[in-house]
Amino acid sequence: MLTIEGLRVSYGAITAVRDVSLSVGEGELVALLGPNGAGKTSTIAAVSGLVPAQAGRILFNGEDVTRVQAEDRIRRGLTVTPEGRRVFANLTVGENLRLGAAIRRDPRGVADDLERFLELFPVLRERYAQPAGTLSGGEQQMLAISRSLMSRPKMLLLDEPSLGLAPQIVARIFDFIGGLKREGLTLLVVEQNAEQALRFADRAYVMSSGTLRYSGPPGDLLDDHGLLKLYIGG
Amino acid sequence: MATEAPAAVRQQARTPSGSGRSLARATLGGIVIALPVLVLAAVILWFAPTYYVRLATVALVNLIIVVGLQTFMGNSNTAHLGHSAFVAIGAYAVAILATPLNMKKLSIPDAPFGLSHVVLDPVVAGAVALLVVGVLAAVTGRIIARLSGIAATIVSLAFLIVTHSTILNWTDLFKGNQGFFGIPRVVDIYWMLAFATLSIVAARIFKDSKYGLQLRASAQSPQAAAAFGVNAKGLRFGAWILSGLICGLAGILYAYFVGTISPRVFYFHQVMMTLAMLILGGMGTVTGAVTGVIALSVLLEFIRGIESGVTVAGIQLPQVLGLSGVALGAVIVLSMAFRPDGIAGRYELDEQIARLFSRRPPASDPSTATVEASRELL
Amino acid sequence: MDYFLQQLLNALAFGAEYSLVALGLAVVFSIMGLVNFAHGEIIAVSAYTVLFAVALGLQSPLLAILLAVVAAGVVAIAFERVAFRPVRNAPVTTGLLTAFGVSIVVQNLFVLFVSPKPQAVSILNGINQIWFVGPLAISALQVMELVVAAVTIVALVLFLNKSTLGLAMRAASRDFATVRLMGVKANRVIAAAFAISGTLAGIAAVFIIARRGSVTPDMGFSLVLKAFVACVIGGFGSLAGAAAGGMLLGFIEVGLLVALPQEYGGLRDTFTYLLIIALLVYRPEGLLGRKVELGDKEI
Repeated sequence: MLTIEGLRVSYGAITAVRDVSLSVGEGELVALLGPNGAGKTSTIAAVSGLVPAQAGRILFNGEDVTRVQAEDRIRRGLTVTPEGRRVFANLTVGENLRLGAAIRRDPRGVADDLERFLELFPVLRERYAQPAGTLSGGEQQMLAISRSLMSRPKMLLLDEPSLGLAPQIVARIFDFIGGLKREGLTLLVVEQNAEQALRFADRAYVMSSGTLRYSGPPGDLLDDHGLLKLYIGG
Repeated sequence: MATEAPAAVRQQARTPSGSGRSLARATLGGIVIALPVLVLAAVILWFAPTYYVRLATVALVNLIIVVGLQTFMGNSNTAHLGHSAFVAIGAYAVAILATPLNMKKLSIPDAPFGLSHVVLDPVVAGAVALLVVGVLAAVTGRIIARLSGIAATIVSLAFLIVTHSTILNWTDLFKGNQGFFGIPRVVDIYWMLAFATLSIVAARIFKDSKYGLQLRASAQSPQAAAAFGVNAKGLRFGAWILSGLICGLAGILYAYFVGTISPRVFYFHQVMMTLAMLILGGMGTVTGAVTGVIALSVLLEFIRGIESGVTVAGIQLPQVLGLSGVALGAVIVLSMAFRPDGIAGRYELDEQIARLFSRRPPASDPSTATVEASRELL
Repeated sequence: MDYFLQQLLNALAFGAEYSLVALGLAVVFSIMGLVNFAHGEIIAVSAYTVLFAVALGLQSPLLAILLAVVAAGVVAIAFERVAFRPVRNAPVTTGLLTAFGVSIVVQNLFVLFVSPKPQAVSILNGINQIWFVGPLAISALQVMELVVAAVTIVALVLFLNKSTLGLAMRAASRDFATVRLMGVKANRVIAAAFAISGTLAGIAAVFIIARRGSVTPDMGFSLVLKAFVACVIGGFGSLAGAAAGGMLLGFIEVGLLVALPQEYGGLRDTFTYLLIIALLVYRPEGLLGRKVELGDKEI
């Protein structure tokens, strides 16, 4: 469903990602692992269209979207939940969810989806009319993922969903992500927390210093403790 | 906050070692920048008619103003739209203090504080005028230094309006809308050249000093600079005062050159013109200030010719007012869109010459290097 | 009592006008960080459009009002396309200076092609009547200005809170990149901001034309300086702050007019600005401004 070929991302003289190629098949959950500064977020930013790819191609559903504007990628079904959640702190929980469905033109369907997420996360219903900035980190992450799902994506890219959250909450969020996979959603999850990310992953890639170091089944990474340590440093 | 600036100045006085060499280099750099101005002036003095000598002298006033503007705007990267207030204050201060008594009896017989009975030697009056400018710069600087970029710009503009409206309406002291005449005309183009060179060197020394570098670094990356212990507020305060003093000096010299001043000379038109000059030349460098003044002075003189109605093929074309205004605005808009660093770019004239003669690029601007390095860390 | 009511209405009407203009500045600033010094020229273009239309035979005041508002909205969008788009991602100072340049160009174009002198526009003078309510003589223009400003602000608040585009604009004021990830087009949000800003300026222009009965090249400039001051008082970028700051400025001005002796009348601007500078000494971030440390991450 998503194929990246020879991607390079640079900021001025600094190259953050060089020659990265990876693919995610329909219905797969793929984990992209790596330490801080490995270039994972830059890869996601290029896929989302917020930063340009200096070289390489990004294919989504067989179409080349490398030059497609960020705003238009979500219309093709490619949705990103950015690093650090980035909920709109000055908007209410409900407004955040409604804005997630900005591209949709079926008010009834939007209302149904809204109801579904409020059902799923009761805390969002409780805080429906409050500014999203007042939520806790974990609640914000749930809101951010729900907001992304409001666009009814074909594929969801999650950037560091565990960032800055307590272990129990991280586990809950990955339970939810596992559930999304079972419902048939295609997912690419970028993580530092390998243990959680590999729980439901079909395949895994490991990045460090801007390049891919490993690709293969997650089992190998988990079995061979040395390998994981080597790349992730813990 | 503001009290830390004098402390910083004291510190500078205490650490002469090592800075002596860079001071010499900055001074030399300033002289190199002033050189084209001196050469141009010499050419005009030798070859051009008197009319152009007068034009050149007024252009030198603008040069000093633009250099003053650059001192604050270029180093703090905050738009400053009120610098003409300092020019006005300097000019009116010497007008009130140095105009002969018989003239004052005609122009401001009811001046408060007994000022209609006082007359000072032009040099003393100039010194007092600079002191007045300095005090007002210190008062406004305390506010400006605390505010964020945009609010500081608006307040600088408010300061201009307050100054203008005070001069316009306090007729007992400033004579209001009518011209203030009879100011002793003691400054000629040679004095003007000397002070212009002095201003350029002073601005360059400030820019290359530790304080100038720190201020530019903090303007580029406030957090990084703060992490290195840079006192941004104190530095902005210092730059504002220096900028005000240079602009005030320009006003004093202007009044002593033309002998008659009126409030509208120091209002929006002057702000626009000097701002366009600085932007065209490049606000990051003193070289940019000089380049912009020369380029735009020539262009404006050309346009003024058209505006007053030219004769083409024997037909006298009508006056076209507003053309110079359109040109000034267009210069600003186009510079910002296509060459935000201005004609001169990021390097001073002496640095550009040094670059020409050495393969290796010169040591990059330390402030940029610092910021770049700290950005890596953050 | 009569006098007091009259001055109160004065203050409210001035305040309403400042609020409209200040809101227009704040909408654009909050979304794209542009300090739009050319906002006053939107008012000027709107007024000159009416002038030209009258010269071409326009007679209906209602059409003139419509024309003024539409022209302002259109010219605001045009400014963005022509002048501000090239500097969209540039530092704040670059945008501010660009806008200042645009303002100078437009003012001087009117000097060049029309005249530096005031041109009479009497088509909207009909609005400028006196209503007699019992013993009171009330300016219809001022009442209308107050009512229209209030309705406009309510409509703006509804738009920002109810429509998807409005939500996107509010969100974009904090985090434009993430708004784009929601599939909302950046150009659409910015065009909407300018259209709203221009429309607010156009509404203000209608009342200015009606009150002055003439147009000048710099008619918008001094007003916008005051609107900027209103924004700074309220806290730059805050919409509520802009509206409140505008109102406060109206009250300060009228208050000074009442309080100052006749011979100091000319110094009203001086005192107004001094008061405001004094206010900023105690609250540098304005009355309703958020104190944002540079680099604060929005969480």
